Amino acid sequence: MTEIYAIILFLVVLFLLLGTGVWVGLALMGVAWVGMELFTTRPAGDTMITTIWASSSSWTLTALPLFIWMGEILYRTRLSEDMFRGLSPWLAKMPGGLVHTNIVSCTIFAAVSGSSAATLTTVGKMAIPELRARKYPEKMVIGTLAGAATLGLMIPPSIALIVYGVTVNESITKLFFAGVFPGLILASMFMAYVAIVSKTSSSWNPDMETGMSFSEKLRNSRFLLPVLILITVVIGSMYGGYATATEAAAIGVLGALALAAAQGSLTAGSFRESLMGAMRTSAMIALILAGAAFLKLSMGFTGLPRALADGIAAMELGRFELLMALLVFYIVLGMFLDGISAVVLTMAIVEPMVREAGIDLIWFGIFVVVVVEMAQITPPIGFNLFVLQGMTDHEMGYITKAALPMFLIMVLMVFILIWFPEIATWLPDNLRQTPG
Amino acid sequence: MTDLRKTLDFLYMAAGVLAALCLVAILALIVAQMVARWTGEIFPGAPDYAGYAMAAASFLAFANALNHGAHIRVSILLNAVPAGTRRLLEIWCFGLAAAVAWYFTYYAYWFVYWSWKFNEVSQGQDATALWIPQSVMVIGGGLLAIALTDNLLHVIFKGEHRIVRDTVDETFEV
Amino acid sequence: AEKWDMPMAYSASNFHSENGVTFAECVGAGTNGEITIEVHPGGSLFAGADIKRAIQTGQVQIGERLLSGHQNESAVFGFDSVPFLAPSFDDSEKLYDAAKPKIEALLDEQNLELLYAVPWPPQGLYFKKEVNSVADMEGVKFRSYNNTTSRLAELTGMLPVTVEAAEISQAFATGVAESMVSSGATGYDRKVWESLTHFYEVDAWLPRNYVMVNQDVWADVSDANKQAIMTCAAEAEARGLQASKDYTQFTMDGLAEGGMTVQPAGDALMGELREIGATMTSEWLEAAGDEGKAIVDTFKAQ
Ligand code: NA
Ligand code: NA
Repeated sequence: MTEIYAIILFLVVLFLLLGTGVWVGLALMGVAWVGMELFTTRPAGDTMITTIWASSSSWTLTALPLFIWMGEILYRTRLSEDMFRGLSPWLAKMPGGLVHTNIVSCTIFAAVSGSSAATLTTVGKMAIPELRARKYPEKMVIGTLAGAATLGLMIPPSIALIVYGVTVNESITKLFFAGVFPGLILASMFMAYVAIVSKTSSSWNPDMETGMSFSEKLRNSRFLLPVLILITVVIGSMYGGYATATEAAAIGVLGALALAAAQGSLTAGSFRESLMGAMRTSAMIALILAGAAFLKLSMGFTGLPRALADGIAAMELGRFELLMALLVFYIVLGMFLDGISAVVLTMAIVEPMVREAGIDLIWFGIFVVVVVEMAQITPPIGFNLFVLQGMTDHEMGYITKAALPMFLIMVLMVFILIWFPEIATWLPDNLRQTPG
Repeated sequence: MTDLRKTLDFLYMAAGVLAALCLVAILALIVAQMVARWTGEIFPGAPDYAGYAMAAASFLAFANALNHGAHIRVSILLNAVPAGTRRLLEIWCFGLAAAVAWYFTYYAYWFVYWSWKFNEVSQGQDATALWIPQSVMVIGGGLLAIALTDNLLHVIFKGEHRIVRDTVDETFEV
Repeated sequence: AEKWDMPMAYSASNFHSENGVTFAECVGAGTNGEITIEVHPGGSLFAGADIKRAIQTGQVQIGERLLSGHQNESAVFGFDSVPFLAPSFDDSEKLYDAAKPKIEALLDEQNLELLYAVPWPPQGLYFKKEVNSVADMEGVKFRSYNNTTSRLAELTGMLPVTVEAAEISQAFATGVAESMVSSGATGYDRKVWESLTHFYEVDAWLPRNYVMVNQDVWADVSDANKQAIMTCAAEAEARGLQASKDYTQFTMDGLAEGGMTVQPAGDALMGELREIGATMTSEWLEAAGDEGKAIVDTFKAQ
């Protein structure tokens, strides 16, 4: 019974604080504090500082501001223009036109960065102005960005998969391989959706790019060279054993600076602006992460996520029913927690259930990542929604609606994963480590 | 009064610049660690120092980010209500946020005090006395609390807060 | 009835965590439900590094921590992680008996009451190639995570590379690191046979996890319940030791099944490693002072 009261109370306080316009990070701290005061006898203030210090001074977190800084530098170069010049001849004639550049760029950056927020800020900063200038429907621009940026968590490297792998003791290498095809398939599904809408929507009439011959297209592709070099260097540094996934972010910043210098857009002024911009954006995300860390702790003390997971365990469901129950469970939890916290808090109960049902834990990791991705774009607490709000000045409601189709596509993706598990398991099963 | 105003604005700005320098420090530390490894050297404690710089970059930037409108919130209701109600709502928002920030700062202070009192040292290879890096929580949290209170007083006495959206973001409005 | 929250750093399926859950059930039954303990495994409440302070300051009533993680604070905490000082389960028990009064006194100063301690399986050496002598280790990239492991690399001529626990698998897969010292359990959990080929059972040291309770909380427990909890703790200590031994064999078999060559180090290598161990013991004694000397003397006298 306490659980029901706890749930209702958390929800009421959360909606009250967020709804009246209290800053998200501070609102989360407020909710967590109420939970601590009402449901535990432990000192709220001390636990708050312990957990916030631990989460905000973490080494793995350093990749986040660096990737954001990289995005800020690239945004001030000609790179975005160049990327559009290189990609647009190929994508412009496709149904859906340049909106595809959103998805393609996110997919490419997902292979560089391990987080969804970094992917979103990098691509968003470059793509939004370009697409707006060409009069693409705003909702499509925002929605596809919100959805496709979550690929940062699925396509390796991925912070979410590292956390999951460590929690359930599965091979992170295998999990990374498992994420490749589902990531690409999800990206194609987003693109297919864009194509369909472009053909059926009456409000779809962006400025058309002029036609080009094949050789012209090919010649224009040289503009993609800088981006490709940057990505090759960052990914190469990781897979070549020169840098860990965290360190690769530093390589990305150096590469972006080199690129900017080569293009002549690196001035003292642009350097300072990029740095101050990165400082503010990462502070915004850090404040929310601090609040989320305290909320996670408070939820942990109340035992709420675990009680819910226990409830599911008690139902003793079959394989498919179990997956459906978990899907609903994580969607609901993902509304209020960031996806990674939801995984950490519940895996102790969920893991044995899943193992008992004979579900492959590598496959389940991909299932979990899709669900974590959904949590990024569901209100009231959805990281990509927050970041996009900061970036575009649109209201949460508007961004949520824009992202809803992407959410539904992810739900469809879950079913595709259930029907064709080989999408996730084939690559890790067949790709052994190269020796040496 | 103008002196206080100038001092506060200088503090918000200076903390922001320090935070930005911490981002550069993170970059330098990580690059140094990689180069050390490639050349067969060691840089003991580099990940720990990078972690402290990460915390400093975040906490010192909070107040600056607030004044530049970088921290986000749900403003549907704020935009929908008439001016008078809006002012009351802003007082509630700034008041509550300031309370949370002061609460945070108070406990952060005692946390750091006990780290100092217990001589708590880092468990990593850096073996840093932890109260030093942890102090950024008190300074940054305190500055955020001051900035929120500053804005709260402005809403109460002048009717408007002092948050100005960053010019960088306006480039999106092309 | 009173509920205690017990954070534990390792995943729910780890034998330490399972042992902790059984201990919690025992306490619930033994105190007739007057004290119930809720275990929070996998760092889901506090991460490992924060657990000691959380108990000390009463943020939680009870918890488990690898105390050698706190050697920067007091070198004595590192007694169970001196390479080759007590290289077997039996020696490790003797060493623990010798150190226990000192550790309890140290914890007492920190507002902590020791309930029980359970060793990890012995630490062995992982490589990507066959190694028969310290000379074979020359230039190998070795994962270091603290001063002891850095020093070990230095003394064996390996290149220490800092790799955080979360990045172990990736670091081996990509060649950032090529070797590490760790228990069979870590290698088994991280499935390192995907990248590494050899495990040498050198039993370098057996670090322990300690379950501790806040002294203010402990003072309020009735004598009968204290008795019941201590009985449960003694049982947990014995059960944990046996589980650690069983798990050692299990993970050795698992590593071999994964395709690794699992074997004791050759005599030549072992001899060289013992010499390095003697150097490191004397270095630890310098840091740990009289307390450390007393522990080692008592241990050697047994
Ligand atoms: Na990624
Ligand atoms: Na969400």
